[in-house]
Amino acid sequence: MGILAGSGSFTRYRIVEEVTPAKLAQAPELLRKNSFRDIDAGTDERSFGWVCLDDWLDPQWRTAPPEKGHFLAMSLRLDTRRISPAVFKKHVLLAFRAEKEAAKDQGKKFIGKDRKTELRDQVRLKLMARALPIPAVFDAVWDTLTHAIWLASTNGKVRALFEDLFTQTFELHLEPQGPFFLARRLLEPARIDDLEEIEPSPFTTL
Amino acid sequence: MDIHLAALKDPIIGQDFLTWLWFACESREGRFSAAGLGDFLVFVEQKVSVQGGDGENVETAQVSGPYSELTEARQGLKGGKRVNRAWVRFEQDGAAWTMTLKAEDLSPNSLRTPKIETKTEEGDDPDAPFLEKMFLLERAGALLDAVFAEFLKLRFSRDWTGELAGFGRWLAR
Repeated sequence: MGILAGSGSFTRYRIVEEVTPAKLAQAPELLRKNSFRDIDAGTDERSFGWVCLDDWLDPQWRTAPPEKGHFLAMSLRLDTRRISPAVFKKHVLLAFRAEKEAAKDQGKKFIGKDRKTELRDQVRLKLMARALPIPAVFDAVWDTLTHAIWLASTNGKVRALFEDLFTQTFELHLEPQGPFFLARRLLEPARIDDLEEIEPSPFTTL
Repeated sequence: MDIHLAALKDPIIGQDFLTWLWFACESREGRFSAAGLGDFLVFVEQKVSVQGGDGENVETAQVSGPYSELTEARQGLKGGKRVNRAWVRFEQDGAAWTMTLKAEDLSPNSLRTPKIETKTEEGDDPDAPFLEKMFLLERAGALLDAVFAEFLKLRFSRDWTGELAGFGRWLAR
C-alpha cells in the first residue's frame, strides 16, 4: 500500500535498541544487500525483500536513494506464486492416469505411494514454472530522529514478515506500538508496575 | 514475556481508552490540549463498536450512522459493554485527520490525512509530497499519543474514580 495514498492503514513501531550513527550510515547498503530478488524465471514459491519506495520495480535504488530528509524510505516487496487447488487436482489426476497407462504396458496394476508423492511434486513444479508470481508492495518509513517506523499495513502476516526482514537487515528489533508498549513508553516509570497489573475499569458499576 | 503480557493487556488498556475517549470527547465538546502540540479537537462519531462477555460468550454490537447519536452503542455501554472499535476525527488549525482505532492494537486504520499535492513541477523538490505526507502522518500519531497520554495520566491517578463517576452521569443523560 502506498504511503502517499489518500487513505491507508498503518502499524507503528519503535526500535528497541539504541541506533548508532554508524548503523544509520550503513542502512542504505544494508537495504541493497537485502533487496528483492526476482523469481519470474524460476519456480520458487515466494520471494521478498526491499525495493525503492519511488519505484517498486527498482531493487537497487537507481530511481531515488532511500534517504528523504531525515527519513529512510523503503518498500517491502513480496511475490508469491499460487496454484489453484482445482488446477493442481486436475493435473495430478491426469498424471496418475498417464502413469497407470504406462504401468499397464509393463504389467503393473497400481501406482505405489512413493511414486504418487513423486508425481504430485512433479506436477507442482511444472505448474509453478507456468504460474506468474503475484507481486505485493508495502511501504515503510523510518524516522531517523525518533526511530519511529510506519508500516503501511496492519495485516498480521505482512507485519511478521516486515519485522523479521527488518531485524535480519539491520540487526535491530521492532516493538509494535500497541496499547501496552505505547503506554509503557508514555507513562512515568513509577507507573509501569501498575500497567502490568491493569484490569478492566468498572465503567458502569459506580 | 513482554510480548505475552502485551497481548494479555492490550485489549484491556485499549478498551478502557476508547470507552473513556468517547465520553471525554462528548463531555468537553472535543477540546484537548497538549504541550508542544497546542489546542486540537477530537470527536468519536459515525461508527462505534462495543463488546462484552468472555471467551465463547463475547458479544459485539457495531453501530454506524453519519449523524447518529449511536444510541444502540450507548445501550451496550449501559449493559456493561466497552468500546472495542471507534471512528475518530482529529482537527487542528482547520485540518482534519480521520481513522478507525481498534482496542487491541490502536493502529491507525483507514487513516485519512489532509490532502496533499502529489504532482511536482520542474524545480520542485521531488520528495516534497513524501515529506509533507510524513509530516501529516506523524502529526496524526502525535495527536493520538497526546490523547492516550492524557488518558494514562488519569487512569493511574486518584482522579480516575471521579472520571468514572462523570462517565456514569454522561451515560445516564
